[in-house]
Amino acid sequence: MAIVAQSSKFGTYGRPILAWAVGLLFFFPIFYMVMTSFKTDADAVKPEFLFFFTPTLDNYLNMAENYDYWRFAKNSVITAVLATVFTMFVGIPAAYAMAFNPSRATKDVLMWMLSTKMLPAAAVLYPMIYLAKGIGLYDTKVLIVTVLSLINLPIAIWMLFTYFKEIPKDIIEAGKMDGVNTWGEIKEILVPLAWGGIASTALLIFIFCWNEAYWTVRLTTIDAATLSKLIEGNRAPEGLFFGRLSAVSTAAVGPIVVLGWFCQKQLVQGLTFGAVK
Amino acid sequence: MSEWLENHLPKIVLAPSFIGVLVFVYGFIAWTAWVSLTRSKLLPRYEIKGFVQYEKLFDSPRWDTAMNNLFIFGTLFIVIAMVLGLLLAIMLDQKIRTEGVIRTIYLYPMALSMIVTGTAWKWILNPGLGIEATVRGWGYENFSFDWVVNPDYAIYTIVLAAVWQSSGFVMALFLAGLRSVDGEIIKAAQVDGIPTWRIYSAIIIPSMAPIFLSAFIVLAHLAIKIFDLVIALTGGGPGYATDLPATYMYAMAFSRGDIGQAASSAMIMMLVVFTIVVPYLYSELRSKNDG
Repeated sequence: MAIVAQSSKFGTYGRPILAWAVGLLFFFPIFYMVMTSFKTDADAVKPEFLFFFTPTLDNYLNMAENYDYWRFAKNSVITAVLATVFTMFVGIPAAYAMAFNPSRATKDVLMWMLSTKMLPAAAVLYPMIYLAKGIGLYDTKVLIVTVLSLINLPIAIWMLFTYFKEIPKDIIEAGKMDGVNTWGEIKEILVPLAWGGIASTALLIFIFCWNEAYWTVRLTTIDAATLSKLIEGNRAPEGLFFGRLSAVSTAAVGPIVVLGWFCQKQLVQGLTFGAVK
Repeated sequence: MSEWLENHLPKIVLAPSFIGVLVFVYGFIAWTAWVSLTRSKLLPRYEIKGFVQYEKLFDSPRWDTAMNNLFIFGTLFIVIAMVLGLLLAIMLDQKIRTEGVIRTIYLYPMALSMIVTGTAWKWILNPGLGIEATVRGWGYENFSFDWVVNPDYAIYTIVLAAVWQSSGFVMALFLAGLRSVDGEIIKAAQVDGIPTWRIYSAIIIPSMAPIFLSAFIVLAHLAIKIFDLVIALTGGGPGYATDLPATYMYAMAFSRGDIGQAASSAMIMMLVVFTIVVPYLYSELRSKNDG
């Protein structure tokens, strides 16, 4: 329950204004980047043109030429989408099994899998590179999709589990009585009932895959390099190509900003790991 | 047959993920542990030589700086993000009409790539480009804000960007917690004329203890694993001033060609995570058995 302060001028007008002011502060670094992306490289480094400048689209129009943006973007889309689909494809049956046919070890297994997510990737990164090079998968999309799926699977299973266990068991049992097989139960009963939770989980996993840098930067060179690699490789020394770097950075986070805006509910649910329903 | 399948289905379904995690996580950790006991340099070697790498690690001033930074950064980051998150949650919990949109904006930093947002922060904090240059441009010639290039203060810029990134997440967790407090108790306290700050400090906040714990665990493991942001914002510099264990490990593995050092630092990082996570897991499991 909310404690709402007694109505006063501050309560009615001050709080929303304060909340929005903080919101602007939070959004400022992103706004700053977007704004800079519409400046020429020369204007971008001049403080007097901070807010007042002649906007230009050149940075965006030359993005493909300057940075080969679309190749990296294509890799990001392909790997993030495939990894999300694959994670959900494995995660949904696994979470289903845990939620509706729990054994005594279920929760232990769940906590254990989740604990692996907390381990520093540092201890696993080097052998992974070694193995990838050894079996010839280094710098391939197959490798990136596999790694992204593996590192996100525990969190997906755990989140789906928290949603699934709120579904009354009777509904699933009723399906069983009617002779529906397991696959049918998942497809016909579980997925429609838990659709909101599944969508939030999928969005979260997609965001994680899209943003992943620790693995993708080290496991790729050219062929499977994603936008993270592009940005990581172009953190220019101060002021150089400031405008065009802002454009390519904006284009790298843009899809997430837009997606998040249209799926606000799923974004909040996902990013809080289902704590906000 | 179908009954057997029905009974064993959970295990069959779980087996691939279980085996995947087991092999990739624990197998590779075992490999790293092994290599940390060898004299591996550019390529891994497998002859065990004892704890030489660890001795070298603890003698290294750079590792010392990294662990110190982790302590400073971790403490400030967790405390500030929690306090700010709680204050923001209390502020948003006032029936503000546009709450949904504001909540999304607060959460955006968490959803965006830290490589990108870290770069944006680098520009904003850069004395020649961002805040300092702008304020000087307004006529305050003596204004100085050069933390990001000052070895004594650079670590605080990482705290700043990391707090910016995570406090919206903490806010959302606490907001959910505030909403789940029993309204009857609060009403009763209000009827008794207990001041609002006392209601928060004596009733509401104590009842949110489990949320504090989850927020702490998430923030602590973010702090230990933080990497993208440091690389984008300071690259560990100036010098080694903002090196953290993760960037130390990375530098050893990929620019110094010292796999042995990388492996031993990774093992120490893991130990630190374990000392935080294991008590938490233990308390979770115990509460399950009680329930």
